[in-house]
Amino acid sequence: MTGARTTLLFLLFAPVAFFAAFFLAPMAVVLFSSFTAPDGSPTFAHYARVLLDQYHWEVLWVTFRIALLTTVICLLIGFPLAWYLVRIVKWRAWRRACVILIIVPLFTSNIVRSFGWMVLLGRTGLVNDALVSTGLLARPMRFLGTETGILIGLVYILLPFVVLSVGNALAKIDTAFEQASADLGAGPARTFWFVTLPLCLPGAVSGAIMVFALAVSAYVTPALLSGGQITVFSMLIFQQYSSVFDFHYGAALSVTLLVLTLLLVGMAGRIGEAGRRA
Amino acid sequence: MIARLIVRLVALLALAYLVLPLIVIIGASLTTTSYLAFPPEGLTLHWYKVMLDDPSYVAAFTTSTLLALAATVVGIVLAVPASLALARYDFTGRAALSAMLLSPLVLPYVVLGAALLQYGAAIGLVRSFAALLVGHVIIVMPFVLRSILPLLTPEQRALEEASADLGARPVTTFFLVVLPQIRSGIVAGGLLAFISSWINVELSIFNTTSELNTIPVKMFNYVQYTIDPTIAAVSAITIVVAAVAIILIDLLIGLDMLSEPRQP
Repeated sequence: MTGARTTLLFLLFAPVAFFAAFFLAPMAVVLFSSFTAPDGSPTFAHYARVLLDQYHWEVLWVTFRIALLTTVICLLIGFPLAWYLVRIVKWRAWRRACVILIIVPLFTSNIVRSFGWMVLLGRTGLVNDALVSTGLLARPMRFLGTETGILIGLVYILLPFVVLSVGNALAKIDTAFEQASADLGAGPARTFWFVTLPLCLPGAVSGAIMVFALAVSAYVTPALLSGGQITVFSMLIFQQYSSVFDFHYGAALSVTLLVLTLLLVGMAGRIGEAGRRA
Repeated sequence: MIARLIVRLVALLALAYLVLPLIVIIGASLTTTSYLAFPPEGLTLHWYKVMLDDPSYVAAFTTSTLLALAATVVGIVLAVPASLALARYDFTGRAALSAMLLSPLVLPYVVLGAALLQYGAAIGLVRSFAALLVGHVIIVMPFVLRSILPLLTPEQRALEEASADLGARPVTTFFLVVLPQIRSGIVAGGLLAFISSWINVELSIFNTTSELNTIPVKMFNYVQYTIDPTIAAVSAITIVVAAVAIILIDLLIGLDMLSEPRQP
């Protein structure tokens, strides 16, 4: 037993020490300073400022609404794409090309990708040109500086995560289950709904959680596509740390975003667990 | 049949949606106009020359690459023993430890970046390569951990025990049995780790200076003031580099992670 304990200590020492020094300690500093005044005395004033201000609630609402819509749209587009790649594409080379196509955006920074959309969504950009020339719009629509613009950019950036996690789950499903379901007389729709979907649900949920968490905390994409018109929560935090230099108030904002994100991610995890058991 | 058609249509549209901005950037970087135009008006490589003549871009490319490499290597070195401990041993606080090590995956990077800045200011670890590195290690390690853990199954454990029974020392077993079995997880996780470090803005932005800058942060600061074909050229280079890297990786180790359902 002592042998096992020594091995365990040996295995865990470096990762735990590193995380304690550069993860737990910084987070503790933030938590501590969110509860203290600049002179070090304990106070709840920063939280009162965060929670009692109507403006913060509006920003939070915008942030979470955008993140939720992003997650739903990513799932709606990502699921068919994953299905197509795993189940429909027969030609290996084309599937490989598609996988590369999905990963290339992941390898490029979200600046580059948001920048692409800044060009595309402009008043005289390709999207507006196409919409006007096909008669879908009477005159150019404003995308930049609207929630729609941010949504297009965020879905674009986060879609590959859903496709890869759902695709992985789909690829791992043993087709014997589906064949059994069909042999027992279930139609394709029933088989999909009661056999395939539950089997790839964990993959979909973990992809969705990742997308949601990344969308809530996204900074670059909203910053570039909002054109200063829309504020999301991460921008408030960034302002405090980079231009206002109020670390205590910034810390309270950080802790608020953190708690809300973890609560929602925890809830999503519970739902995923329940779905897995059902 | 109709469902199949719809799936096909959505999938192809989604693929188009994924490539469109990349094509636009590459196209816009070739324009002869001094403003961004797509489709480009005329073709020139002038904007690439403008970029290469600016040593700060070359420096930022170097910093980003070194940082991502270093963070990935340190991340792997920390994640492999941690995953072995989590998968093999049942100890008090195991669940809490695993939650902590994986939590940077769902943590807002802006919060972590701000925390590291505040903490770094207190211990004198700011605006240096080391300051950037520790943050990047924290965010990349969970990617590696998460891709190794599912591979450490009971079946894998059985082979490990067989190796020990046959008299192999733990170190030999690790390098000859365990490592080959988790290799695919290390490669996949390492890849994700490298990417997430290479493209990170939210964490790096707190610790970069005009001398020590990563390419995404440099671009972010630039795009906020001016949009011109130079930045499109820089972006286009990162896209081409990414595409070449992925195709190389695909040829070397195979990226066909979505291959047809496995038969038992």
